[in-house]
Amino acid sequence: MKVLIADDHPVVRQGLRQMLAVESDLTVVGEARNGQEVVELSRRVPWEVAVLDYNMPGKNGLELIKELRQRYPGRAVLVLSMYPEDRYAVRALKAGAAGYLTKESAPEELVSAIRKVAGGGRYVTPTLGEKLALELEDNRGKPLHETLSDREYQVMWMIASGKTVRQIADELFLSPNTVSTHRTRILRKMNMKSNAELMHYAIAHHLVD
Amino acid sequence: MNDVAHAPALEIEAQEAAEKAKILLVDDEPKSLFALQELLSTLEQNLMVAQSGEEALRLALKNDFAVILLDVRMPGIDGFETARLIRSRDRSKSTPIIFLTAAADEMTSMFRGYEVGAVDYLMKPVIPEVLKSKVAVFVELFRKSERLRESEDKLRRLAAHLISIREEERAHIAREIHDELGQVLTGLKMEVTWLAKRLKDKPLIEKTDSMCGLIDSTVQTVRKIATGLRPEMLDDMGLVAAVGWQAKEFQKRTGIRCRTKLPAETKFDIDVSTTMFRIFQEILTNVARHSRATRVDIELAVSAAEVSLEVVDNGVGIQDNELHAKKSLGLLGMQERALLFGGDVRINGSPGHGTRVSVTIPLRKAK
Repeated sequence: MKVLIADDHPVVRQGLRQMLAVESDLTVVGEARNGQEVVELSRRVPWEVAVLDYNMPGKNGLELIKELRQRYPGRAVLVLSMYPEDRYAVRALKAGAAGYLTKESAPEELVSAIRKVAGGGRYVTPTLGEKLALELEDNRGKPLHETLSDREYQVMWMIASGKTVRQIADELFLSPNTVSTHRTRILRKMNMKSNAELMHYAIAHHLVD
Repeated sequence: MNDVAHAPALEIEAQEAAEKAKILLVDDEPKSLFALQELLSTLEQNLMVAQSGEEALRLALKNDFAVILLDVRMPGIDGFETARLIRSRDRSKSTPIIFLTAAADEMTSMFRGYEVGAVDYLMKPVIPEVLKSKVAVFVELFRKSERLRESEDKLRRLAAHLISIREEERAHIAREIHDELGQVLTGLKMEVTWLAKRLKDKPLIEKTDSMCGLIDSTVQTVRKIATGLRPEMLDDMGLVAAVGWQAKEFQKRTGIRCRTKLPAETKFDIDVSTTMFRIFQEILTNVARHSRATRVDIELAVSAAEVSLEVVDNGVGIQDNELHAKKSLGLLGMQERALLFGGDVRINGSPGHGTRVSVTIPLRKAK
């Protein structure tokens, strides 16, 4: 498989080259430092998969993806970005990218992503997949935490952040009894039995950090 | 880099201040006008004359007078009507007016004079020393308020300059940290991974694994610092996306529920976007610190003419005395930021019913 590497940072290009050199079925056929070079190289070099940095000098990442997709519909663009997936991945995919990986991704993940998109597939990380699935689920019915009142939501958030009833009562100027009542109602509304379950839910739904 | 551009402008203003103050003399009788001019010439100010109410109004439209001496009895628009019209205009609504009237005039006309905004009243024939000293007082007052306005203006410009410098610096540092440091870390991780693949020794592999873990968490820290300085989304995707993201982050960080009503994503002037975004952040900071709210409703609207933002919380409500407290620099900062772009910030609170902050900034026409 012929791979094009595009990144404005020499360290990253070198790392990618090294990483891909180990894989016998992958060949790096070109390197570019910015969007303009990608466009120029593409005319001469028939790459199959381009690994693009989202944020190179010059052309905006999304524009570059769109342009490449338009000119070479048969080739796959894989975005490798410093930016977190939750904010950028969906946009990149909509613009025509075949996949989106952050630079923290394990090298094996990158290699398998390249193989997958070269075959015409799309590559979505498990985290993003889960997020998209949650969104679908959320669209079908109200997510559980939306059934809580504003005050209950706040108390739920505090429990999920690991605060004790005492701490919550102090911070909210409420009596511990009131907080306990809130907690009971929250657990009932969300159909849960313990704080641990609540924490798990909050983390999965990105309600806490 | 703006210092150079600003300096000459300040000098010109100082020169203008040193110029003479304008005084308007209005009387239908040329002889009286001449006498007044003679009398006041020793003050060495810029004397302008008008022989009718109409003429006086025209002059008051184009000039800022330190004081207007106005004859009450004139054909056409009389002195009272002239004063009323002068006072009804924004530019001259607080220009001091001294009425001149013949001694025969009654006390009743004196009261009429005060109603339309006269600050003083002189009987004809005027006593030269009295007139001169009265006019001199208003000239001095005018000068002082001019100087005050100027220094206010300078301070405002200085604040604007500091804000823009800080914003530029933040953006620059954020970019440097994110791009340079972030990319080096990425490269480093690739090197470590390369190394790890060649290792057979289990303890060594464990070491490289933990190195990778450290690099990952450093990357995240770098990202957090850069985004904290200036969210890259503001530049990449614009204000709408940035506000939506900030609201989500706020909810995640504080547990205060945010409801957002956002328009379709559009991009407009980056400076206006930055201003609006910083004001929004300040509002949220205040909500988290003082409101004890459990919910915030955020509505952003963008039209061809303006961007407006409304943030309403259900907390304890800001009190009037807090709004006007001298130390509420955060609130002042918001006002000043908005003012730089001709916008404004309105804050209303009622005890127990939360606080509502409305921000509007006009959009300049596309260049």
